[in-house]
Amino acid sequence: MTELFVNGEARRVHADPMTPLSGVLREELHLRGTKAACGEGFCGSCTVFVDDDAVASCLVPLGLAEGRSVRTVESLADPTGALSPLQQAMKDNDAVQCGMCFPGMLMSLTALLETNPSPERRDVHEALVGNICRCTGYERIVDAALTAARAATAAVEEDAS
Amino acid sequence: MSDVIGANLPRRDAEDKLRGRTVFTVDAAEGGLLHAALCRSQVPAGRIVSIDLEPARRMPGVRAVVSAADAPGRYGITIADHPLFAVDQIRYLGEPIAAVAAETLEQARAAASAIVVEVEEYTPLVTMAQALADDARDLHPGWEDYDVLVEGGRRGRNIGWEATVVRGDTDAAFARDDVRIVETEFVAGRQNQAPLEPRACVAGYENGRFVIQTSTQVPWAVRNSTARLLGVREADVRVVVPPVGGGFGMKFEVSLEPFAALLARAAGRPVKLVNSRQEEMQTALCRENAEIRIRSAVTESGEIVAREAVVLMDCGAYGGEQPFLTSMTAHTLGGNYRLGAVRLVSRAVYTNTPPNGAFRACNGTYCTAALERHTDEICAAIGMDRVEFRRRNVLGDGDLGSTGQVFEGDVLAPMIDRMVALRDSAPVERADDGRLHGTATTVGTWFIFVGPSAATVNLNPDGTATLVTAGVEIGSGSTMQAIPQLVADSLGLRPEDVTVRAADTDAAGYDGGVGGGRTTVSLGAAGVAACDEVRRKVFDLAAEMLEAAPGDLVLTDGHVAVNGVPSARITLREVAERAQSVSGPISGSGSFTGIGVQPMSGCAAGHMIGALDLPVFAVHECDVAVDPDTGHVEVLAYRVVQDVGRAINPRAVRGQVQGGVVQGLGYALHEEITIDARGKVRQTGFETYRMPLSGDVVPVRLDLYEGAPSFGPLGVKGAGEVPILNVAAAVSCAVADAIGKPVSQIPLTPQRVLGLVLGRADEDVELRHIGPGWRANVIADPDELMAAAGV
Repeated sequence: MTELFVNGEARRVHADPMTPLSGVLREELHLRGTKAACGEGFCGSCTVFVDDDAVASCLVPLGLAEGRSVRTVESLADPTGALSPLQQAMKDNDAVQCGMCFPGMLMSLTALLETNPSPERRDVHEALVGNICRCTGYERIVDAALTAARAATAAVEEDAS
Repeated sequence: MSDVIGANLPRRDAEDKLRGRTVFTVDAAEGGLLHAALCRSQVPAGRIVSIDLEPARRMPGVRAVVSAADAPGRYGITIADHPLFAVDQIRYLGEPIAAVAAETLEQARAAASAIVVEVEEYTPLVTMAQALADDARDLHPGWEDYDVLVEGGRRGRNIGWEATVVRGDTDAAFARDDVRIVETEFVAGRQNQAPLEPRACVAGYENGRFVIQTSTQVPWAVRNSTARLLGVREADVRVVVPPVGGGFGMKFEVSLEPFAALLARAAGRPVKLVNSRQEEMQTALCRENAEIRIRSAVTESGEIVAREAVVLMDCGAYGGEQPFLTSMTAHTLGGNYRLGAVRLVSRAVYTNTPPNGAFRACNGTYCTAALERHTDEICAAIGMDRVEFRRRNVLGDGDLGSTGQVFEGDVLAPMIDRMVALRDSAPVERADDGRLHGTATTVGTWFIFVGPSAATVNLNPDGTATLVTAGVEIGSGSTMQAIPQLVADSLGLRPEDVTVRAADTDAAGYDGGVGGGRTTVSLGAAGVAACDEVRRKVFDLAAEMLEAAPGDLVLTDGHVAVNGVPSARITLREVAERAQSVSGPISGSGSFTGIGVQPMSGCAAGHMIGALDLPVFAVHECDVAVDPDTGHVEVLAYRVVQDVGRAINPRAVRGQVQGGVVQGLGYALHEEITIDARGKVRQTGFETYRMPLSGDVVPVRLDLYEGAPSFGPLGVKGAGEVPILNVAAAVSCAVADAIGKPVSQIPLTPQRVLGLVLGRADEDVELRHIGPGWRANVIADPDELMAAAGV
């Protein structure tokens, strides 16, 4: 039995400690927003937060997540159900196509925006170096991230003034 | 016309996809599912001596084991050459030999690996050169006995299909003394579609029928192929399709479904089967590698008086799509330009490699690359500007295509003018950074894969509508945006009042599948036709209610109104409610198929598509910078003018173009599946199969060209497939322009480009297995083909 905190809630899971975290999230906790498209850490579709780091959960054995905080795509919308600004920007930009990469994209970009609220375009590219999208050609995803960042920065400045 | 058409309607599935709530087939997790695994061949070629399934049956958790004896049929598109499990012979590494279902995936995999297979190995024929050698072993010794599903293609030994085009007296034209003869060779690699959702399915066996949920683009083809392979009635297979996590053509034919179906029947429980990423890499139904030689006879003024080409397409171990796709050479390599006389041959060649399949603008990508490189070499030979040559020679109104079809409308020439304007509106600066700069303008001809589609529209008592089709949402958004927009426009509803039912072959009529740019055209047209019947019924009833003539009524804003009398109107809901007690619920059915344009008599042999019902055109330009020290190619800018007929949702079209161009950049620059001498795919995952990342791409500047002739609904043409068509062409031509040397092979990896820059001989393409001239490369009697074409 391994205890970890998933999306703010203490969860006990039965899987073997060597089971990839992505598998535990998907199979045992039924959090299937986290995808596992390659299972080898190259596509980024399984990206989740472990504590403050966005990581490929297919490469994290459950045992290493013991006692730690895990955040998945299901946690991004606020408790009232409203999309996060980043999710909303993706929707407004018509960025989504098949959708398989988006959970991972959103987690990588959420990590970026939490550490760098005013990223340049190349910062977004660097943040997505581990996330493959086969449908969109990326531009709208990058645009949406920059839009969300600008909106958040503007809101902060407005509060300050 | 309402304001729904041309509106950038958002996707209704975006929120769930962004919340991680969308359930793809790979996410299916209903209770009691068994998990399956395949026992696959570890060798690429050989004779099966024995298979011992007993060790698997004795493994813990195992509930069913099936093999060739359980699946008697063979399938294919033109030739039924493909059994579900290897029978007697192994033809590729990874070929399924048996399937196992167990309580857990680990148990299934363990049991599959416990199966003992004894094989007498053959030396594999992994290249087309090996397979075409005079002394090559036949990959399909019994090929003459296979069921022929489509007549007309010549076949023989390791040539699974041959399609030829003959129009005009090519020999005479090449013999003219006022022409220059230009010859170009081109080789293109194999490209994996790599959708992020692998092939996956869940099958059950209920009341004597197979019920299959699957990640496919073609529910009806899965239904029919599964029935054929399993030897059951087509009616006993039901296929349902939830949202699909990308397809790009790989899911355009049956794949895992029959295995899961057999196991479900044997075990009496539903079975889930998913390819691991490693299995996807080894067995993806890739875009085929191809080898091409083109010769043209051109006058000094730039008239192409004759063209000849040989195109070899590697179909892998079984025919699959490639015999069908040999048709497309006539319209891609044989397209774009007015030709005096033409002779083409396309051959699908069997090799001991995984079967290839369909991939976005199949055949068109490499044939267009070869043709456009060839065109630039013609321009160099006669000293004519490359854009001017194209403007003069592209097909226009009344011109003949290679198979003799008459093209309608001047489309490509004005598109070239629009491209020049697009380029001039934002010139690309060439930094003086030591790199070699190049640019290229390329044209491309493709088609909309029209074909049969059926639709039903139910007008619900609440005044909303439900569209029932076998259309699948593969990510392109057609069923989320354009199609509900078309239905809403036709019925005067808001798009949000139109529900599109997910594909279910028990609910919707036949459909050719989602691919080939056909969804908005074919399913859209069938949907609009169904709406026409609904409109007639609504108008008949509303005419009584409004005391007006049916012909004076219009549907707008959720109401039936008397045209020109705004106050005389009732809601569609009132009409729908009224219908309940008068006629019963209102519904309409509609259908659509191609118009059947024919080639000139005797010009096209072995073609499933002898002429294009609905051609579509594209002009692409790119600017590149090549580092002469490393061979690295940077794409600095990319421009597209695309013929879309009419853009129902321009923003959605732009999303398709950006995505398609980027897939094309991967194909042109670094994506390649290579196969070693032992038949093993070297790229076992995304570490070694390098796809474009966000930092690799540029924003595509796009001009949507509207107004070209189209019999699609409201004049629409499909927009999702064609964006990849001439990317490899544009990049190859731009790199050749930059380095000042011919480019004859893609992908243009740094190593390959550096070799070209340095003039290394190992980058030269040599196609010794393509004989000199066209005649040496046809199985059919060349003189008979010429006579049939009246030459």
